[in-house]
This record gives sequence, structure tokens and C-alpha cells, in this order.
Amino acid sequence: MTLLTVNKLSKSYDGKNVVKDVSFEFHNGKCIALIGPNGAGKTTILRTLAGLLKPSAGTIQFSNMKEKDDIRKYIGYLPQYPVFYTWMTGMEFMIYSGRLSYLSEAEAKKRAETLLEKVGIIDAKDRKIGKYSGGMKQRLGIAQAIIHKPKLLMLDEPVSSLDPIGRREVLTLMKELKEEMTILFSTHILSDAEEVSDELLLLNKGEIVESGSMVELRKKYQTSIIKLEFQGDLAKYQEPINALASVANSSIERDVLQVSVSDIAEARQEILTYVLKEGCPLTSFTLDRASLEDMFMKVVTG
Amino acid sequence: MQWMALFRKEITEYWRNKKWIWVPLVFILLAIIDPVSNYYLPQILESVGGLPDGTVIELPDFAPAEVVMMSLGQLSSLGVLVITLMSMATIAGERRSGVSELILVKPVAYRNYITAKWAALLALVWASLLIGMLASWYYINILYGELSLHSILLVIIFYGFWLTLVVSVSIFYNTLFKTPGIVAFLTIATIILMSIVTQIFSHVLVWSPNNLTMYLMEMVQTGSISSDLVWTAIVTIIISIGLLIAAIIALKKKELAN
Repeated sequence: MTLLTVNKLSKSYDGKNVVKDVSFEFHNGKCIALIGPNGAGKTTILRTLAGLLKPSAGTIQFSNMKEKDDIRKYIGYLPQYPVFYTWMTGMEFMIYSGRLSYLSEAEAKKRAETLLEKVGIIDAKDRKIGKYSGGMKQRLGIAQAIIHKPKLLMLDEPVSSLDPIGRREVLTLMKELKEEMTILFSTHILSDAEEVSDELLLLNKGEIVESGSMVELRKKYQTSIIKLEFQGDLAKYQEPINALASVANSSIERDVLQVSVSDIAEARQEILTYVLKEGCPLTSFTLDRASLEDMFMKVVTG
Repeated sequence: MQWMALFRKEITEYWRNKKWIWVPLVFILLAIIDPVSNYYLPQILESVGGLPDGTVIELPDFAPAEVVMMSLGQLSSLGVLVITLMSMATIAGERRSGVSELILVKPVAYRNYITAKWAALLALVWASLLIGMLASWYYINILYGELSLHSILLVIIFYGFWLTLVVSVSIFYNTLFKTPGIVAFLTIATIILMSIVTQIFSHVLVWSPNNLTMYLMEMVQTGSISSDLVWTAIVTIIISIGLLIAAIIALKKKELAN
């Protein structure tokens, strides 16, 4: 079911188009990653959806939303660098957020307890936020964004400022949350997107340059690369393999011989035949899958 | 209720950053400094070295009404400055720091956000004014002569409207600008400008808020509330509410992030 439809959204500052004619729709229960290089307009799109910015043109429409209804009831938003009232405790901030979202005092309290437990900072609930670490703030940020059970949770670069442990924790949390709500998050760390998202929106210079599910995109950008590893010196195998009919060219990267081929099936046959015939000490043979990074580079740099 | 949550947060914040302590203390200090120092002026002169023999200085005997005005005079200058500095970041600071990005993506009604902040500031300002002027009244009664509780309370109420206007001006600029310093500067500049305009066009602007203290003095002296005082108070309240509405509209139109 469609949750949100964005139609020809544009946003410009001082005549400069930061987001140009962007259209997409989200379905319930998916996790969507918004990927793009710095300055591609990711944050602007998220802020516009959150109502912090007003679109220069275009519409944002939630399904099942009544006319004139406040869009903010349905969304939770965590900015890239969330700032809290440092004089409040984590619990106080959660209750405050809940009260602002029309929960009663008792409901807000109950929900705050549950969520702080869920994000793993229940032990620090009575500590001042000023004393929280970066990872704790990020988790508090996620908890406060979902206090009113939004339909869409938007996270702006949720893990990029965290250390590896914090990053792992937040990613695990996102996987759990995606069972309950639609998540839209921006990132430029591609492996994170690969890990948690179902769908991708690739953004460059304010335009959507590619979109689709992870599976579709993989297929579309399937490269024809075979990775070979040999015992001993690689260089002496490069020449003869290059000479094979189905091989376009090859390169050595670290201890891997990367072979570009025109036809995977044919090349596999030829290479393996060659290896057997010559008795080469092959240690690894891999058909490369298109990594998100390749796709990204291809789309962004053209 | 959302409004109460916003209001309570402000009041709690004032506790945590000790505004509930220092603002009333400053108001007490400002309100009593003139009554006390004028009364003890001879002793003060004596203790700092005295005057040559034979010097005769006639110090005026102040009437209680005049002394009340001295207290208000201090509040009108330094008191207004304190209010301005204290309120300059109430919205501007939150937008500048980015905490408003978390708060205003919640379904917060802008009118609740602004009126709650306005009301919380007024609670603090009115409480400080009440305490400060009661302290002044205490000293006036001891040092200068009888002044009824009734008239000091009337002074507090009418003068409170003037400070309400100051708070409203500050709230208005808070929604327009993100830099607290600019908010403070414009608030003070506006009040000074209003006073200049009132003086230049004094024949037309009879009910200008800046004339409030003048009518208050008449009231304390004569003991009766003039219609000019009432009308000036009404004009002051109307301008305050107008500024508040303008602030709500301004915030609605504003983009809350860069």
C-alpha cells in the first residue's frame, strides 16, 4: 500500500535549485535508503518532508490523510546532528516529546520507558542529556522520533557520526524498527544502505538518478567481472588469460586478478579450461556481484 | 495539554538555570537602590570623607510618590535591559542551536509554542516586579512615610502592562531573527524609538505606552485613576497582543531550518 506520494518536488534557495522535480512514492513497511554524494540534496528532501522547509513547487501527499491535517503527526524525524535541551534528563525529554505529540502524561511516561529500554539507554534515563555520549544521543534521538508511533520515520545520516560499535547498534535497531514502520534514511555510507534497506533512491545534484529495489538494481548493474586468486606470483598468469577470446581486459588489484569479460558463461569455461590445462595453483574463483559502490560511481560520475 | 507541557518546560528551565532566583533579586536591588541611597545620602557623604565645615546642603524631602517613581525609573532602564537580555534567546536561541528542529517537527501548534513562551516570561517578569516593588514599598513606608498597599498594587499592575509590552516586543523579534544579540538590540532600539516618537508627537500620542509611568505618578499623587491611564493601559495591551499575533504568523511563514 502506498504510504506517501511525492510529486515533482522542487526546492530552491536564492535561485539555485537544490532539489529538482523529484517524484517518488513509498510503500508501507519498507526501508528506503536515500543515497547520494554530499550536497546532493538528501537533507533538503528530508527536511521538506518533515515540514521544516517549504517546497518551492510540488506536493507531498500522505495516503489516508485528511485535508488540512497536520503532516507532522505521521512522521518522526531525526536530524543529522540532533540538539537536545542539555538540562533535561533523557526521560524528561522523552515525556516532553510525547506530550507535544498529544500523548497524556501517563501514556508518554509508559511509552518513554518502553522506548528507552528498546534503544538501550534505560539506565541513563535520569541522567542529564548534556552528559550523554554521541551514541547515546543518537539513540535518544531515534527514541524521541518514534514516541508518537509515526507511520514514517526519517533519519538523516543516522550512523555517520558514530564509532563502529555505535554504528552496529543503530543499524540493528533500524532492522528491528522496520518491522513496525516505514523508514527513510539518508546516508553516504553505501554498505549501511546495502545492509538495512529494501529500496534505494540514488540522488545526484538534486535529481533522482536511479531508484528501485536492491534486487532489481543488482541485476541491472551486474558487472561481468571474474576475480581470480593464485598462489605465488599473479603477474605471470595475466598475459595468457588476457589472450583468451572472451576476455576483454584484466587488472591486478592487490592479490586479486580482476578480469572483465564479455560473456560470463563462456569466460568461465575458457578460464577454467586454461587453469586445468596448465595446472595453475588457483586458490579462488569468484563471479563478482555488482557492489553498491560500483553502481553509485557509475550513476554519479556517469 | 500541549500548551501546559510547553509552559511547564519553560518554567522548569527557569528553575534549572536559576532565573527564578537572580531575576527577582535584580529587581529587588533595582527597586530599593534609590529609596535607600537617597535616604542615607547624608550618612554616605559623611562616611566617604565628609564636607568642609560650614557647607550647607539642602537635601530635598521626597514624598512617597516620588520615591515610587524613582524605583520605576530604575526598572524602566536597567530592568528593561535585564528582561531583554533574559528573553533574547527564548526562541531565537532554540532555532540557532537546532533544538527547534526536534521540537517543531512534532505536531506543535505555533500559537501554543509562542504563547507558552510568552506566558512563562510574563510569569517570571510579573513575579519579579511584584517582589521588587513590594520591597521598595517596605522601605518607603519605613523611611519616607505612609503609602497604602492599595496604591502600590495598582502601580505594580499598571506598570506590569508596560513590561508585558517589552516582553512582547522581544518575542516578536525572536521569531524574526535567529541571533539573540540582534533580538536584544532591536528590542531596546524599538523601545527607545517609541519613546522618542512619543515625545515628538506628544500632542497626538496621548495614550502612548511610554506615557504610562507619567500617568502612574499622577495616580499615586492624587490617589485616583485617570481615564488617560486606563486608555494607555488598554493601548499597551492591544499592542502586546498584536505583536504576539504577528509573531505567530511570522513563525508560521518562516522556514525552520536552513
